[in-house]
Amino acid sequence: MRGLTKEYVLQRFLMYLLTIWLGSTLIFVIPRLAPGDPVSEMVGRLSLDAGYIENADKLIASWKARFGLDAPIHVQYFRYWGNVFRLNFGYSLSHFPTEAWSMVSRALPWSLGLLTVATVLSFSIGVTVGSLMGWRRTPRWLQMILPSSLAFTAIPYFMFGIMLIYLVAFELDWLPATGAYSRRVDPGWNLPFIKNMLSHAILPVVSIVLTSMGGWALGMRGLMISVNNEDYFLLAQVKGLSPARIFFRYGVRNAILPALTALALGLGGLISGSILVEFIFAYPGTGYTLYQAIISQDYTVTQAIANLIILVTATSVFLLDLLYPFIDPRITYKRTMR
Amino acid sequence: MAVGQRTPDDASAPAQGWGLNTWDSPWLNFKFLLGAGIVLLILLFGLVGPFFWDTDLAYTGAGPLNKPPVWAEGGLPEHPLGTESNGRDMLAQLILATPSSLKVGFLAAIIGMGIGMALGSVAGYVGGWWDHVIRTLSDSAVTIPALVVLVVIASYVQMTDTTAMALILALFAWPGPTRLVRSQVLTLRERSYVRMAHLSGASALEIMFVEMLPNMLPWLAASLTGGISAAILGATGLEVLGLGPTRVPSLGLIINQATTNAALVRGLVWWWLPPIIILMVIFVGFFLMTIGLDEIANPRIRQFSSTRRERTAAGELPPVEPVEDGTAGEEEAALEVDDLHVHYFTPRGEVIAANGVNFSVRKGEILGLVGESGCGKTTVAMAILQVVQPPGRIVQGAVRIEERDLVSLSGRDLRRVRWRDLALVPQGAMNSLNPVTPIREQMADAILAHENIGRAELEQRILNLLNDVGLPERVIDMFPHELSGGMKQRVCIAMSIALNPQVIIADEPTSALDVVVQRVVAQTLLEVKERLGVSMVMIGHDMGLQAQLVDRIAVMYAGNLVEVVPVESAFAEPLHPYTQLLIESIPSIRERKPLNVTEGLTHDLRDPPPGCIFQFRCKHVERICRERRPELVERDDDHLVACWLYEPERHSLIELEEA
Repeated sequence: MRGLTKEYVLQRFLMYLLTIWLGSTLIFVIPRLAPGDPVSEMVGRLSLDAGYIENADKLIASWKARFGLDAPIHVQYFRYWGNVFRLNFGYSLSHFPTEAWSMVSRALPWSLGLLTVATVLSFSIGVTVGSLMGWRRTPRWLQMILPSSLAFTAIPYFMFGIMLIYLVAFELDWLPATGAYSRRVDPGWNLPFIKNMLSHAILPVVSIVLTSMGGWALGMRGLMISVNNEDYFLLAQVKGLSPARIFFRYGVRNAILPALTALALGLGGLISGSILVEFIFAYPGTGYTLYQAIISQDYTVTQAIANLIILVTATSVFLLDLLYPFIDPRITYKRTMR
Repeated sequence: MAVGQRTPDDASAPAQGWGLNTWDSPWLNFKFLLGAGIVLLILLFGLVGPFFWDTDLAYTGAGPLNKPPVWAEGGLPEHPLGTESNGRDMLAQLILATPSSLKVGFLAAIIGMGIGMALGSVAGYVGGWWDHVIRTLSDSAVTIPALVVLVVIASYVQMTDTTAMALILALFAWPGPTRLVRSQVLTLRERSYVRMAHLSGASALEIMFVEMLPNMLPWLAASLTGGISAAILGATGLEVLGLGPTRVPSLGLIINQATTNAALVRGLVWWWLPPIIILMVIFVGFFLMTIGLDEIANPRIRQFSSTRRERTAAGELPPVEPVEDGTAGEEEAALEVDDLHVHYFTPRGEVIAANGVNFSVRKGEILGLVGESGCGKTTVAMAILQVVQPPGRIVQGAVRIEERDLVSLSGRDLRRVRWRDLALVPQGAMNSLNPVTPIREQMADAILAHENIGRAELEQRILNLLNDVGLPERVIDMFPHELSGGMKQRVCIAMSIALNPQVIIADEPTSALDVVVQRVVAQTLLEVKERLGVSMVMIGHDMGLQAQLVDRIAVMYAGNLVEVVPVESAFAEPLHPYTQLLIESIPSIRERKPLNVTEGLTHDLRDPPPGCIFQFRCKHVERICRERRPELVERDDDHLVACWLYEPERHSLIELEEA
């Protein structure tokens, strides 16, 4: 009776495919809706630089043929899908011999490392603080202290980052301001490098955690207050259970369900939510790579990253949907939860 | 990135409750007003600024380069906030940039809200295929990371002005409001006043705007302020990356120019810090508004914070006055409730929910506690169990089991007594089981909290208990949602007898069940009681059911006991006028009689009248009833009543007093 029904899995899987299809199609459509096309623009820029280019029309036509842009739109669309499946996004336009995908995969570990740590920290601190804030039995002194952890909630993380750089890196000179590691250390699994890498990660992580944990805390507090008023919560008290058991098994266990959905969405955003932080800290992750690709009009890299983000987000939501029946036994019966 | 899950099912208060003209209005929320004030101030700065300062100074070459603010060394009075590397005056830039940043936020959020309201009400109201499509679209739209798509769009589409930017941002502002409005419409549609409006021929639009919108208002407002700050954040993000409109000054653009010109390293603090400060103040303002509105929309959150405030104001909870053990005469009492007073400390005054309630339950007896809804019977039950919810509190009295006063116990001592001596069959069996754990675990934790037994013994014990209430063994591994209402209630009964308690409080154990199931559950309770010899307090308002189950009946009215009587006498010769009314109102098939209940209203529970509490509805009311409160006194054998009618000397009493 418990667990996954075939219908449920199928329904979620279709939803998953639909999300990916919608997202990737959007990425295909948007550049084609924009006025002008990249090839003509590039040739235009070249001719501006050189003053004049012979047979510019022919050049444009042959380049278009080379990139497949002369084919009818539906043929382009099918080719695009074939390439997406093979993770073949072509060469980077700004770093020519490098393939777009290899640029992305080089940046990926940095983003994943930085943001997994930051998200997990912020989620666990926030949920703990929020649960305690929404519980009547929390000791009074704790109730007084906890709200102070919300102090930075309203400040966007990148502004907090700028101020941290100024204060901690430039004024106090305690930690490095930008980058993922210093030039003077050799990348690899050696102690100096790891220490160096960690010292570079502290400021970005702190700026994300301090500004985002308040959101988790507030949400969790509201959920916990609702659970506090449930009949089963009262019955648990009357049963004479220990406060710890009531708090965890009856309170947090029920209140955390919607927060987990939000976490899955947040994990999907791991690769993307970082653009601004990586920009501010010049951290060589996917967000920063995306920023540079956009600035240098590197369409292939942009496409690769955008597709990757959609894929990762959709996958994490899909995985959560599959896990959900085990976390919340009611889910197979209630068709929609979120 | 916030959790942002609201529970919209709480917006159930009818529209009149939200009036703006009373000082009681929930809109007078401190956080909301403070936030609104902050946002207005910032807006004022941008709107009034151009009249006091020459905004032409905001353009390149308007002044000397890199001058610090006027209070720093080298500052110039004609550029009070300094200038940056292009000679632009900072004050003029900020005056121009602030309203344009706000404008983008407002515009995008309002467009998103409009789309959301249209789609959400169609999805919720029309339903069917439309609902399916709209829900699928908005569900998948929230999974797409907005900023990335924004950045990608911004890289292809040249944004010339703030309006174009707002339109693009609005693409991401609609799913939230859509989902909110849809769920609100779905909830409100089932409310009786909306159904009434529908039946009386109101059009869909009328219902939407007249009946539903006012009730959604706090939710929509919270969603709007949240949306505005999200849109400002998105816009600022794009501007900081240099992907927003570059011709129009904006706060994000100033930050972008500062960082790309290495203002951080060069120590040009006055360049990058002021726009950040203004943005932070804006975000704090909207943040305060949003959480204030959340409190307005969600009464539970409001109540939670207000009770804490009240407790803080009142200092630590005062100790409950112990009651002298005067009436504990009855040897065979399993449970004694002695002079119990429970008050609810609401913002509008102290509600007296139980006013000196006195009764005892004998060993092996079922005592029925009856009275109309709101009379305080559930409050008494909660007080016996020591779980009166704030803002309520036991202010006086004792609840004794085996000579031990539960009111004076706390912490570990209280936990030890709970369930072991005093168990509960709850009112809402529907929601009384933890939805996420199997029955096995919920029964096991009650047992394991009080006894140390092994796995096998535990399992056998749970199976026996299920057996005792006539449930199949497979129930042990089921989840609450897999059981019917009657089965859940029987699980609750099985749970209540797990430790063989002295006393079980059954709080309207059959109220939410249909008639046949009611019978089964009542039968189960009786069997359990016969076999175990447990004492019970059975709370209810169904006199018919009480007649079949209980030994004695205690009648409660407006927080006071008015009569305690063996069940036969209660039906044969009820003494108190209120009991008579209750008995009369039991419908009978043999004779159809007019219903005799609505004469007069209960008094305001915050301000009980002097004299008898039933005086406003009583046919026999006399002068003394208005002046002195009758005591609960034994009139017949085992028949207690609080009424002057049975006080033969009442007239002489009055005369005595007047003399």
